[in-house]
Amino acid sequence: MLSEEYLVQQAVNGDQAAFTQLYNQNFDRIHRYIYVKVRSQAEAEDLTQDVFIKALESISYYKWRDLPFAAWLFKIAHNRVIDYVRKQSKEKRASLDEAYAKSTEDPIQMTEKNFEVYQLKAALEQLPGAQREVATLRFIGQLSINEVARTLGKSEGTVKALQFNATASLRKALQGKLDG
Amino acid sequence: MARKLDDIFNECYERIRTGESLHSCLARYPEHRAELKSLLETAFDIGRRASYIHPRPEFRHWAQVRLQGAQHYASQQGQVAKPGHFSWWRQSWAVAVTAVLILMLTTGSTVAASSNAMPDQTLYPVKLATEEMRLAFAVTDTQKAEIHTQLAETRAAEVEVMASQGKTEHAAITAARLAKQLELANSAIAQAESAAGTAPTPTATPEPIKIEPLPPKPPEEVPAAVQPTTTEEQPPVTEEQPTTTEEQPPVTEEQPTTTEEQPPVTEEQPTTTEEQPPVTEEQPPVTEEQPPVTEEQPSTIEEPKTTPATTKYDKWAAERERLKNRLEESKSKTRAALENAKENASQENKHDWQRVIDAIKEKKKDNTHNWRD
Repeated sequence: MLSEEYLVQQAVNGDQAAFTQLYNQNFDRIHRYIYVKVRSQAEAEDLTQDVFIKALESISYYKWRDLPFAAWLFKIAHNRVIDYVRKQSKEKRASLDEAYAKSTEDPIQMTEKNFEVYQLKAALEQLPGAQREVATLRFIGQLSINEVARTLGKSEGTVKALQFNATASLRKALQGKLDG
Repeated sequence: MARKLDDIFNECYERIRTGESLHSCLARYPEHRAELKSLLETAFDIGRRASYIHPRPEFRHWAQVRLQGAQHYASQQGQVAKPGHFSWWRQSWAVAVTAVLILMLTTGSTVAASSNAMPDQTLYPVKLATEEMRLAFAVTDTQKAEIHTQLAETRAAEVEVMASQGKTEHAAITAARLAKQLELANSAIAQAESAAGTAPTPTATPEPIKIEPLPPKPPEEVPAAVQPTTTEEQPPVTEEQPTTTEEQPPVTEEQPTTTEEQPPVTEEQPTTTEEQPPVTEEQPPVTEEQPPVTEEQPSTIEEPKTTPATTKYDKWAAERERLKNRLEESKSKTRAALENAKENASQENKHDWQRVIDAIKEKKKDNTHNWRD
């Protein structure tokens, strides 16, 4: 398997197949990251597409800094979401039927999963911005502490503290739902 | 010094991620066992819930199609010689040599046959290459505007054919190509307009001005002064994003190069106005769109006399209207064809067709910045 650094370098040099491979590797996680931050499925889909089109447009300026390519994509996604959310009025929260798991599953199981996703989104929404960002990148984006710190321009110590506080708040928000 | 709990929590989270059991990790820190256990369960519960989120298959498919379209354009842009690096005559010579090579390597019939090629056919790339050559040989801004408009019409016709055959992917890619071509055509029209000069100030007879200068852009929403998080990292940005720098390659330390260097959309169009001879004579005046000057004005000999600048501008105004109408007609036909394809599509494909339609609509919105509708 090709190393990510090699793939990125190829993509920077205009190799479309390399970019496509990076796209395939990161598509789901970027979509997931955006999905928990916006209110509807349609918004998440549009923004996910935007992120990759933006990445394609800017890839020739990318400089490898020993940080996963995903960190750069998360950053684009983060900024794109902020831009988008700023334009939206704070009207409604995502309705339950807009949350979704794989639609091929058993309807009852699907409903349960959708409800759990809905609860997660609601819990994340209650966090202060910095905690939410750290929790999303760490637990949903699956970046390491070092990668989160570099992505957000914060120290590892700060990120650890934010992660801890975010987890404690999420525990409270999700309390009683962990087992079921 | 006792370790902070947030550090211990992070260590355990990492250990469990890499395969260690929860119990084993808790055993290392018995004094924090209860607290750590519930926090770690919460952290992994978040990941579990998030793992239920998957892109819809239709969305995944559509996003891939759109990316391919964007990649196709990126490669097309890359193939076009950059005017800033090439002088006009060198570019022309390069194109001429390429043209001779193409003619040597292909028969005339191949090129001729390609002129009717559709996006799903083998000869289509030859058709696109031929179009590039036509553009490269265009000398004046008016010629370029005319050719770009013709190419937009060609793309629109191709979308119609692809839509009528229910070929979603080809229709989507060609629709994206059309959107791009509409941008190029609008830019070319604007360029030709600036070369034709601004509307002359009437001296004696008040002449109704048919085409006003481009209206000033209405003030857009000013980017909020306060960015929620990490705004300081955002580098300066591109022209078409009025609200933000957000979409810029964000991590500044990683992106020393500013994105102003990104090729603007109109890059393919040389802006060397000094090379433009007076051209409006080459364009047949569209008499039906000319203002009925003679009816409104006294039939004196002096009245029709206008300055050369006025004549040039009037001719361009009529030409501009003609080009605009053609672009508008192309857009309308395309939209109708896509709507029709959507109507005839199966339920699961309707979404894809709607996205093609939306993409065109979006581009259309952008295009209105270039000229009044």
